Amino acid sequence: MRWMWIDRIIDFEEGRRLSAIKNVSLAEEHLHDHFPADEHSDAQPVMPASLMIEGMAQTAGILVGTLNRFREKVILAKIVSAKIDTDVTPGQTIRYDAELESNHAAGAATNGIVSRWVFNSDSTPGEWERIGEINLLFSHIDQNFSGLDFPKENFVFSDNFKMILRAAGLDRLAD
Amino acid sequence: MKFNLVDTILDQQPDRIRTVKQVSLAEEYLQDHFPTFPVLPGVMMVEAMVQSARKMLAHHGDPRLVLGEVKALKFGAMVRPGDALDITVEFVRTTDDGHYLCKGSGLVRRSVLHADSNAEQETAVSGRFVMRPLKIASPTKAAPTHS
Amino acid sequence: MPTTAMTREDIFKNVQEVLEEALGADPEDITPSATLTGDLEAESIDFLDIVFRLEKKFSTPAKPFKISQGELFPENLMENPAWVSNGKFTDAGMDMLRKRMPHVNFSEFEKDRSVNKVSEVFTVDAIVSFVERKLNS
Repeated sequence: MRWMWIDRIIDFEEGRRLSAIKNVSLAEEHLHDHFPADEHSDAQPVMPASLMIEGMAQTAGILVGTLNRFREKVILAKIVSAKIDTDVTPGQTIRYDAELESNHAAGAATNGIVSRWVFNSDSTPGEWERIGEINLLFSHIDQNFSGLDFPKENFVFSDNFKMILRAAGLDRLAD
Repeated sequence: MKFNLVDTILDQQPDRIRTVKQVSLAEEYLQDHFPTFPVLPGVMMVEAMVQSARKMLAHHGDPRLVLGEVKALKFGAMVRPGDALDITVEFVRTTDDGHYLCKGSGLVRRSVLHADSNAEQETAVSGRFVMRPLKIASPTKAAPTHS
Repeated sequence: MPTTAMTREDIFKNVQEVLEEALGADPEDITPSATLTGDLEAESIDFLDIVFRLEKKFSTPAKPFKISQGELFPENLMENPAWVSNGKFTDAGMDMLRKRMPHVNFSEFEKDRSVNKVSEVFTVDAIVSFVERKLNS
């Protein structure tokens, strides 16, 4: 399992909000363990809510990262609150809408909405249906963990993120 | 990869469970999180608590409870390859909608090298969360019924 | 929220809600004398969460409630060697604490002055005083 939980940035308003999507596919290994068939029931693959929180953290983390052109390392420090009411199965798409709530030198808070795409059964496209919300608190680790032995380079925003930023035409925001 | 974040159960009671998640560089996702600084992702600590809670609550009859809610859950010390996450989850109470409110925490054990030191164990994760039954919805909107 | 009409009791109720959400604490444990780091088990990241929630709770369109870094929970309290001696705050150190935290009652801490007990001055009541002073300023 790789550690990228968003596939594409679909909307961005600098300093305010960022939206991303994640396709849920049976080709992803972890879905086969969550949940496998057993003596009582058939297999029931669903996207784990913990990984939806990570999807939101990556979406919101990029938003927070853009505030200072990805110069600072941003890490998830607290799940302020999260609620997922409907499980998502393979074949569906998850949407993460993150909005900046507050920003200080020490960290930032974001609010987020999680939706799933619901297809129409006729030939018309479909619509997003809200399935939950995830509110997070990020820490700027250079500010809060000074003295700890961290690499100097910004390891948080790796090449994977740069690829996603570039695909969305947002690499201009990185140094 | 196998999505299994509980390596072993150290103790299990009806309302309390203690488990261990060993962290090893052989785990694939650590190559991405982060490429030059591998640490156990915070949400994987959450998943380890969720899987522990699922085992603890299985005696209530549903072996496939999932994470429905998280409340004020914070991350502290980082957990690196060679460390172990020592997890304790307790059942707090049943919520109004019949779900299971739990409280969990994870301590870092810094490898066997320090097993006999008196170094204080650091908390890597602590918070409350709710386990609920699966709720699968159709990927399509039900076609309007014609009467 | 009409902040002009807020009594200390109103402020306490709002602070109690903030702490309940930020710390997952039970309301009955959030008494005026409860200490944040001791009784309510708050850690440094919670301080940031509390600051953000207080800002949101007490802001009005007419008067934003903005807390600058270190205003509620000061940092670098030991950066000046003249402030601390043998693990205790000196007279100069106590003056600095009172000046930087006018919302805190130091009468109890004054007796001991231990650096490692300074976090105990952050009580629920100190936050209520902080908000009250700030709303009236």
